[in-house]
Amino acid sequence: MKRLAALAGAAIVYLIAAWLVAPGFYDGFGPQQPYSWTCPPPQAGANTKPSSGHADIPVRNGTTEAYSVYTADGQIVIGFLPDSFDATGKTMVHVDITPLDTCPQPQGITFVTNIYRITADAPLKKKSNVTLLYSNLKPHPDYIYRADNPSGPWAPISGSQQGQPYTMFGSTDKLGYFAAGYIASTPPPGVVTVGGGQTLPIIVAVLIVIVVLAGLPLAVMRRRQSGAGAADDEEDGS
Amino acid sequence: MLAVEWTRALLAHDSRFIAAGLLLGGVALGLAALGWPATRLGLGRSRFAVRVIGGLALGAVLLLPAAARSGAVPLLPGGLAVVAIAVSIGEELAFRGALYAALDELGGAPLAVAGTTVLWTLAHALSHPPEFLGAVAAAGLLLGLWRWACKDLVAPIIGHVIADLAL
Repeated sequence: MKRLAALAGAAIVYLIAAWLVAPGFYDGFGPQQPYSWTCPPPQAGANTKPSSGHADIPVRNGTTEAYSVYTADGQIVIGFLPDSFDATGKTMVHVDITPLDTCPQPQGITFVTNIYRITADAPLKKKSNVTLLYSNLKPHPDYIYRADNPSGPWAPISGSQQGQPYTMFGSTDKLGYFAAGYIASTPPPGVVTVGGGQTLPIIVAVLIVIVVLAGLPLAVMRRRQSGAGAADDEEDGS
Repeated sequence: MLAVEWTRALLAHDSRFIAAGLLLGGVALGLAALGWPATRLGLGRSRFAVRVIGGLALGAVLLLPAAARSGAVPLLPGGLAVVAIAVSIGEELAFRGALYAALDELGGAPLAVAGTTVLWTLAHALSHPPEFLGAVAAAGLLLGLWRWACKDLVAPIIGHVIADLAL
């Protein structure tokens, strides 16, 4: 009875502790840091607002240096090659990254990240690489999308693909608004996934039903056996 | 064990090594159980049906907080399912199996439960944000107490595998 009480107590402690954090913690398959949301989903738990970023890219001999600009929380990084900007007459090119403070969802696309606006005070001449971090709380995106205006039209940028875990990258020859997402009319990409989404409550319900249906007869059988004086078969005697 | 867990966590930062790191980490952790009799690890075959049912019950408890907040909960990429199973089994063999048995011999069940919970939590310090470690510790305590109360490792393995696959 003491053991059963200890187990029940531990289960309650676990349920409380797990309730206080966002789902997906169990074995470290998620991103290293929780995503900072502009519009947090209900299960996100405590949320910090996403950061902005700024960089002044030096111009030497009329060309800009290779440079990476990123937000303080690292959720978006844009990498520029040398001579990426038309920097005629400039000594510095200023680049800003700002998370949009609203979360428009254009028709046909489901965004799974914040929308970020990237601006520069010089025209872009070369393609630059955009890397977006996404959360484990939403389905994996299949593209990084870009638009000149948050209301659209949005188009996938070239070479959009999965990078390091929970990141997508692609290249763009224009700045503007960026977000990662998937086509809303298709199932979430990643194709083969396990658990999560609406499946999870079903999995838990099935587990509970199996435990109850199979556990009750087993408990009855054990009670009958112990009533008949069957030996306890505990194994390691600790 | 800590070195293996921290190494696999560091490898997971690079997408080229994430699956291999998890798989090799799981295997390496499992090696910790070598040399221990199965019964000392809690892997006996008696009452096997009860152990399996217990594992399903543990899996349900571990998943319940996430299931109660259904909607957009995490999706484990299919490619990671196999390595998730390897890591789950390896961690249970190492922590609730070999480490538990060693600490139990050294100082009895209280040391075994407390020691495996602390080391299990430390092992996840590099793979989880700090705010998640309380829940990780609570999961370790639950699995460790099951190991003590039922003298069984089959159920923690099953529960851990289910939880990792679904979360």
